[in-house]
Amino acid sequence: MTADAARRANLVGALITIFTVICAVVWCFPLYWGVISSLKPEDEVVRPYIELWPETPTLRHYVFALTETQIGTWYINSIVTAVGVTILTVSSSMFAGYAISQLRFPGRRPLWWLILASFMVPTQVLIINHFVLMANMGLLNTWAGIILPQLIHPVAIIVYKQFFDQVPSDFREAAVMDNASELAILFKVYVPMNWGVTTALSIVTFIWAWNAFLWPFLAVTKTEMMTITVGITQVWDAFGVYYARQLTAATLAGLPVALVYLLFQRRVTQAITLSAGIKG
Amino acid sequence: MADIALTNVSKSFGEVRVIDDLSLSVAAGEFVVFLGPSGSGKSTLLRMIAGLETIDSGTLTIGGRQCQALAPGQRNVAMVFQNYALYPHMTVRDNMAFGLKNIHMASDEIARRVNEAARILEMEALLDRRPSQLSGGQRQRVAIGRAIVKEPAAFLFDEPLSNLDAALRVRTRVELAELHQRIRSTMIYVTHDQTEAMTLADRIVVLNNCRIEQIGTPMEVYSNPASRFVAGFIGSPAMNFLKVELSGNDEAKLARLGDGSKVDMNIRVPASGSYELGIRPEAVRVSERADTTSGKATVVEHLGDRTLVYMQLADGTPIIAQDGGRSQVSPGDVVNVSFDTSELHLFDADGKTYHADRQDA
Ligand SMILES: Nc1ncnc2c1ncn2[C@@H]1O[C@H](COP(=O)(O)OP(=O)(O)O)[C@@H](O)[C@H]1O
Ligand SMILES: [Mg+2]
Repeated sequence: MTADAARRANLVGALITIFTVICAVVWCFPLYWGVISSLKPEDEVVRPYIELWPETPTLRHYVFALTETQIGTWYINSIVTAVGVTILTVSSSMFAGYAISQLRFPGRRPLWWLILASFMVPTQVLIINHFVLMANMGLLNTWAGIILPQLIHPVAIIVYKQFFDQVPSDFREAAVMDNASELAILFKVYVPMNWGVTTALSIVTFIWAWNAFLWPFLAVTKTEMMTITVGITQVWDAFGVYYARQLTAATLAGLPVALVYLLFQRRVTQAITLSAGIKG
Repeated sequence: MADIALTNVSKSFGEVRVIDDLSLSVAAGEFVVFLGPSGSGKSTLLRMIAGLETIDSGTLTIGGRQCQALAPGQRNVAMVFQNYALYPHMTVRDNMAFGLKNIHMASDEIARRVNEAARILEMEALLDRRPSQLSGGQRQRVAIGRAIVKEPAAFLFDEPLSNLDAALRVRTRVELAELHQRIRSTMIYVTHDQTEAMTLADRIVVLNNCRIEQIGTPMEVYSNPASRFVAGFIGSPAMNFLKVELSGNDEAKLARLGDGSKVDMNIRVPASGSYELGIRPEAVRVSERADTTSGKATVVEHLGDRTLVYMQLADGTPIIAQDGGRSQVSPGDVVNVSFDTSELHLFDADGKTYHADRQDA
């Protein structure tokens, strides 16, 4: 490479770096703005110019959210429903993916096509049906009512099937020679050999269930049954909108997801790549 | 240990019949090798015994018990896979114990068997490692250990050495032979490597196109190959095959080679005519005089203890001859050879084989 070419390559590299940094800033700014605004008194928030730092930082909105609203209950509802959705989705997908990948039974192909097809149907299309169904079953305003319709998650089955397909058949045969039952083969061989998939799927499913809004919003009318995403829409009072308060609630709602993300950063990226590969 | 008998077994994959009405018996404690080229049905046959492939018709008995309908785990045989198939997330100890835990064996008995197997295979120090922390040879041992702990009626090996490097392969081969001496269990071993077959087997089952070509001791299949295929497949370098015209009476036949030279045959064949003459390189000796014929050396391979001379007869027929270790032959030389007429084989067009009468036979 000549010095000229090298310089040009450097220049291109630098431009790309600058571009990505700009994108990152553009993307991060609203987050930053939201958090910072939640630390400002209400009158500072509505000033017509941009202030990157609160003049008089205050935690009063946090105190308000934590003491005057039912945010504690909403947290519990969110945790219960998100964890429930995660455990049920991941475990059922594990079984379904294993059966479709490894077992030979009549109707295996049609079942697989059905799962692939359900992947094409957006949840919004079904939401009325879900509502009627849950209402008929008397499950509105219950945890079960929030959880059940969220269990339709074909991607997880597809991911498991793909990974189980890739396990060399030797392992299955060795386990069969070792007198292992199908359950033992699944839980002692296939799942442990693919722990990464299970953790990754659990994390994305959890984040996805935590952030769910539309369905919990429809399924719940009682304040004490709301999840946090729905609950934060309730932080207003008769005198109008309080931006700082709303942003405080939003920050509190996002906190667990941010924590999960920070703790399992690498796994999350892996999981997103996984499911993106499938969707691709 | 137990005897194994396959009687009139058949197997199809979809429309394709791969094993057709095959019968075979293995004595208790015997080391039998299935030898054949790739695709000859060795693995399929072994997997039918293991239960990993179903048997369409016919019977399989292991230790006198009908097994063709039993699940693999219930046949009391253990299999060592080509890629070892060690569970990567388990320690060596857990790998070996897995099969025993599945049948709810008492844990002190499991521990006893695992330790015993580790002692036999000299891998006590490896018990708490994961497969990824082991070398290829060590993994191989664990795979064998996993079979030993089951104290099975028979061991089944599917090309167990093919993933090892050459030196390790030879060493492991010797260790396997020693293991068989020690535990005297029935072993069936699949390979396409004739050296492994010759060195390990009590008896070799030569397979081709999913049919049994010959069953015999290593020396039987080497000295008296039952077919042209066996003759060509066993032995390295391969047997020489020469087109010959047979003439003369019943007592003394004369074979004319392509280059016109004549060979006395002491083989009884029913008719004169065209045959294929088979003779191993070690029976084609480089000699002073042209006792049989002569040809031009093209390639000379010095192997130390002997020398292989690749040559062409006057009519262009290629033939491999053998000379002593300190052979003076160089490429381009005209070389005289003499055939050892007690080591001749004739193959007719119908696949019939005739062997020379040997003094020792
Ligand atoms: N699962 C299968 N489906 C279809 N054909 C198979 C299957 N397994 C083996 N075969 C065929 O059976 C024949 C024997 O195969 P195999 O027993 O694996 O041979 P080998 O082990 O001697 O190389 C081959 O022609 C192969 O193509
Ligand atoms: Mg094979």
